[in-house]
Amino acid sequence: MPKPIIHIEDVHKHFGRIHALRGINLDVHVGEVVVILGPSGSGKSTLLRCINHLEVYDHGKIIVDGIPLKTAKDINVVRREVGMVFQSFNLFAHMTALENLTLAQRMVRKRTKAEAQKIAMELLTKVGITEKAHSYPAQLSGGQQQRVAIARALAMNPKIMLFDEPTSALDPEMIKEVLDVMLTLAKEGMTMVVVSHEMGFARAAASRAIFMDEGQIVEEGKPETLFSTPTQERTKLFLSKVLQI
Amino acid sequence: MPSDGFFRNLVKTFQKKPPDLAEQPPTPKLDFILGAEPREKLDPWWWLVAAVFVLLVLLMALKPDPYWDIFLFVRDGLAITVELTAISFVFIIIVGLIGGLGRIAKNPVVHFIATIYVEVIRGIPLLVQLIWWYFAAPALIKSIGEAIHFDAMANYRANPIFLAVVGLVICYGAYMAEIFRAGIQSIPKGQMEASRSLGMTYMQSMIYVILPQAIRVVLPPVGNEFIMLLKDTSLVSVVAVADLTRRGREFMASHFNPLEVWTLIALLYLILTLVSARFIAWLEKRRKY
Repeated sequence: MPKPIIHIEDVHKHFGRIHALRGINLDVHVGEVVVILGPSGSGKSTLLRCINHLEVYDHGKIIVDGIPLKTAKDINVVRREVGMVFQSFNLFAHMTALENLTLAQRMVRKRTKAEAQKIAMELLTKVGITEKAHSYPAQLSGGQQQRVAIARALAMNPKIMLFDEPTSALDPEMIKEVLDVMLTLAKEGMTMVVVSHEMGFARAAASRAIFMDEGQIVEEGKPETLFSTPTQERTKLFLSKVLQI
Repeated sequence: MPSDGFFRNLVKTFQKKPPDLAEQPPTPKLDFILGAEPREKLDPWWWLVAAVFVLLVLLMALKPDPYWDIFLFVRDGLAITVELTAISFVFIIIVGLIGGLGRIAKNPVVHFIATIYVEVIRGIPLLVQLIWWYFAAPALIKSIGEAIHFDAMANYRANPIFLAVVGLVICYGAYMAEIFRAGIQSIPKGQMEASRSLGMTYMQSMIYVILPQAIRVVLPPVGNEFIMLLKDTSLVSVVAVADLTRRGREFMASHFNPLEVWTLIALLYLILTLVSARFIAWLEKRRKY
């Protein structure tokens, strides 16, 4: 077995009195697509945010691409290899789509303007919104904004992509356009950790599904197996509610 | 928030076919002929500026004695007032930005210093501060100089304009720090997170992502501060600065015509603040997203 690209060992996280993560152990290997699901407040977003150190964990160990986060001298070295897509898109509101894609390339990857724009246009083509390159986020639909956000993360050539409920803030008719982009990425072999309740996506793309509750990993397995024959009561209860909809 | 620019762009997108980027270089900002730009509607409040200006000119032309005489006498004071405001304001922005960043800093020492600064300075009247800087600070410097036998300090002579700028900058900087803090905090947290998640440093994120958006938010209150500063510079007349107000008092002392002097001084301040207000309004309209 090769070394995992993300290694999480006995991670704990508190928010004041709330014990949000209670001893998480998880390994993700190159090319894997891991989908994390669970009720709200189960700690799945917190776990994801710990992986690129947007949240600082209190105890345990996270090693990303060979670098232990707690003792990393420069956390930005890790972050540039880990793309993150947020529920609320978080596109830079004062910049056009194209500028959103080029800023970090130039600041962090030190690419020239022309180089960065070339890469940006290729990625905008890939996510299918070339014609909106010069639009501001406020002029784009939610689905378009999220596709720009994915392209923005990809422009850094990350080794890992993290998705934090990428479709939860979208109108139903826009969910598919975002999931399609994610499916393509998964097929290309991108290592992905996705917090999402999109069962269709999990079935089609995920190599593993993880069910979290109350800050712990309750159960994990192949998405098909986990969804059809869950072994834990909590998983069954949760899935019965989600699948009813 | 849909601004005029937004709607204009929206109309444009409907009028034009989407530009084919493969063929067309990305120069969307110049899609009208130079020299034939669509004319902005003139801000109607310019009429008020014009009215006050005409009133001033009429007073001075029709009754040169005393109005034109007063104007000639106080015009160097007018220049001092404008210079004092402009120079102070530049430093106020710098102090305010540093103070505002200090107020949101995670480092407890930095945060403590910035907070003490804001709380203490905001609690003391500006006039008292100006008097302190002009009378108390030089006395303090002299006594320290004498105690340590350092001649340059012992023989310190107060420069009224310099100390007035110091007083204004330190006082207004505290208010400006709070404005900048509020402006920065009004930008959603996700903007900083997105920027940091791309590997940019805190400073890069501040400079390229947060501050450009915060400027839009703070522009109205910063403009407000500018106009207040312009008026508050009249307080420096108490600490030996020959500004517009002090020159007015000097003229009145020798000519005994308070009505004419203070009407003209008031109109001169008014024209300055009204023009500033129009300039600020123009800046606010220029935002592009």
